Amino acid sequence: MAEPVADKPTQAAQQRSAGSAGALGLGLAVARQLAAFALTLAGAALAIQLLLWVSPGDPVDLVPNGEQIRAELEAEWGLDQPFLVRYGRFLGRALQGDLGSSLTYRPGAEVSELVLPAAGRSLRLLLPALGLAMALGLLMALLTAGHRSVLRRGGQILSVAPVFLLAFLAAHLLNESAHAAMQRGMIERPDWFALPDTDSLLKSLLAVLVLAVGSGALTEVHGALEDEIVRLRNAPFVEAALARGAPVWRHLLWNLLPPLTTIASSRAAFFVGGLVIIEKVLHLNGAGSMLWQACRLRDYPVALGITVLAAVAVCSARLLGDLVRLAVDPRLRGSSP
Amino acid sequence: MRASAWMGASLLAVVALAGITGAVLPDSLLPYDIVADVDPTRAGLPPGTDHWLGTDHLGRDVCWRLLLSSRAFAGPGLLACLLASLIGVGAGSLAGYAGGPLAAMVRYLATVTASIPRFVLVLLAIAIYGNSTWLIGAVAGVAYAPSVAEAVYTRIDSLRRAEFVLAARAHGLGSGRILLYHLLWVNCRRMVGRHALNLFGYLLLLETTLSYIGGFGVMEPEPSWGNMLAFEFGYSTANPWGVWAPVLAIWLTILACGLLGEALAERRHG
Repeated sequence: MAEPVADKPTQAAQQRSAGSAGALGLGLAVARQLAAFALTLAGAALAIQLLLWVSPGDPVDLVPNGEQIRAELEAEWGLDQPFLVRYGRFLGRALQGDLGSSLTYRPGAEVSELVLPAAGRSLRLLLPALGLAMALGLLMALLTAGHRSVLRRGGQILSVAPVFLLAFLAAHLLNESAHAAMQRGMIERPDWFALPDTDSLLKSLLAVLVLAVGSGALTEVHGALEDEIVRLRNAPFVEAALARGAPVWRHLLWNLLPPLTTIASSRAAFFVGGLVIIEKVLHLNGAGSMLWQACRLRDYPVALGITVLAAVAVCSARLLGDLVRLAVDPRLRGSSP
Repeated sequence: MRASAWMGASLLAVVALAGITGAVLPDSLLPYDIVADVDPTRAGLPPGTDHWLGTDHLGRDVCWRLLLSSRAFAGPGLLACLLASLIGVGAGSLAGYAGGPLAAMVRYLATVTASIPRFVLVLLAIAIYGNSTWLIGAVAGVAYAPSVAEAVYTRIDSLRRAEFVLAARAHGLGSGRILLYHLLWVNCRRMVGRHALNLFGYLLLLETTLSYIGGFGVMEPEPSWGNMLAFEFGYSTANPWGVWAPVLAIWLTILACGLLGEALAERRHG
C-alpha cells in the first residue's frame, strides 16, 4: 500500500511512533480482526441454529414429511445429543463445506452444491448494486454537502420507497410505455418485453438500480458521505492544502476511502436483505429466491445454509472494510482500539 | 420545526388516525363485511360518493380496505418499537454506565445480530414458527434492538464522565436518577424516538413486501397495502385507484416516518 499522506504534524509524529512498532503492530491488528471475524461468524451460526432448535416441540415435526424420515433426521441433526455437541458438529461440518442435504426443495441434493452456484449469481447482482449505491451517493454528496439542496430532498423521496415498490412501478411503467409504442407501430417488440417474465439485460440493470436506490439505501449512503465531506472540508489539513495552493481533491478522496469502506461494509447486510426481495419480485434466479422457496417449502437445511452463507458474506464485507482501513490509516495499527 | 418536519408529522398524524380507526373499529360497525364481501355487479367502479376510492375488481371498497390494512402493521409496528426500545435502552445504558466486560458483551451481541440480514431473519422466523404479523413485529423489534443499544451505549459512554454528571453526583444524586433522568431522558430520548420511527417505517416495509410477494405476511382476503397492490395489478384499467392508493399509502407513510425522525435527530439535545 502506498505511503499515506501526512496530513498534519501531530499525525506525522503518531505515524513515526506507530512505524517503530512496525510490522508487529500491523500483524497484531490483522490477527485481532481475523479473530473477531471468526468469533462473530460462530455467534451468528449459533443464533441461526438456535432459531430452529428452540422452537417449541420437536424440530422434526416442523418438516413437512418429517415423520417418514424421522430416524434419518434425528441421526443427521443429532437430536439425542446435547445442544452444544450438535452445534459443534454443525460448525465442524460447515467448515468442511458440508451444509447437509435438502429435504423438500430438491430432496437429497447437497445443500452446498445447490446454494453456491446460486450465491454466485446473486453476487453478480449484489456487488454492482453496492458499487452503484456508493458511486451515486458519493456523486450526490459532492454536489450537495453543506447546503440545502433539491437534489437531496428528491433523492430522499425516491429512495425511501421500498425495493419491491420501485421494482413494481418501474416494470409497470416500462411495460405500459412499450405496449403503447408497439400499438402505434413505433417500435418492434423489445426483447425484454414483458417484465419481469423474460430474462434480459434490461431486467438485470433494473434490479441493480432498484437495489442501489430503494428502501432508503441511497439516502443513507448519501447522508453518511455528506457528513464525512463536511467534516473533511473543515479539517485543518484541507485548509493547509488550500493555503499552499495544492489541489484539495486528492486529499479529500484519499481520506474518504476509510469512511467509504465503513459505509459499504456496514450496508452489506441491508443489501443482502434487499437481494431476496428484488430476486423474488423480478423473477431472478439466485440465492435470494432460493431462500424464499426453501422457506415456503420448509426446507430448513437449505434455508439455514443460505442464511449462514449470508452471514459469511456480511462478515467478510466487514473484515474487508477493516483491513482496508488498517492499510490506509496507520494510526489504527498502534495500541488496541 | 422545519417545513419537512411539519409535513412528516401531519402525514403521520393522518396515517395514525386512519390506523387507529381501522385497527380498533369493531367489525359490527362496518357498513358490510369488508373482507369477504365480493359483488361482481359493482366491480371496478371509479371513485364516487358511495365508494370514495372506487372498488377493486371483486367489487370491494378500496377506501375501506385501505383503512383496515392498518390492522396488519399498526399493532406489530408498535410492538416492534416497544421491544427495540426496551431491550436497546436497557442493554445500551447498562453497558454504557457499567462499561468493561458487560459493554464488550453487548457490543459482541450487536455485531452478531447485525451479521444476519434482518429481512432474512424475519423470513426464517416466520418459516419456522408460522406466519403471523405479530411475530414479524417481535422479530423485527428484537433484531433492531442492537442498533438502539449501540447508539445509547455510545452516547452514554461519551457522557459518563461529563461535568454535569460529576456535578449531579457531587450534589448527592443516586446513580439511578443520574442514569434515568440526566443521561437517558435528557440526552437519549430523541435519538431513541428517531430509531423507533425508523423501525416503524421498516416494519411497514417488511409487512407490505411479504404480503406483496405472497405466501407470507397478510393473505387474501384480509387486506394489506402490499397484497392489495399485487391483487389489483392487471385489473388497474377499470379503477386505477385500486393500485395507486396503496402505492401512495406505503410511500407516504414511510416518507413521513423518515422526515419526522430526521427532524427529531436535528435537535441539538437527546
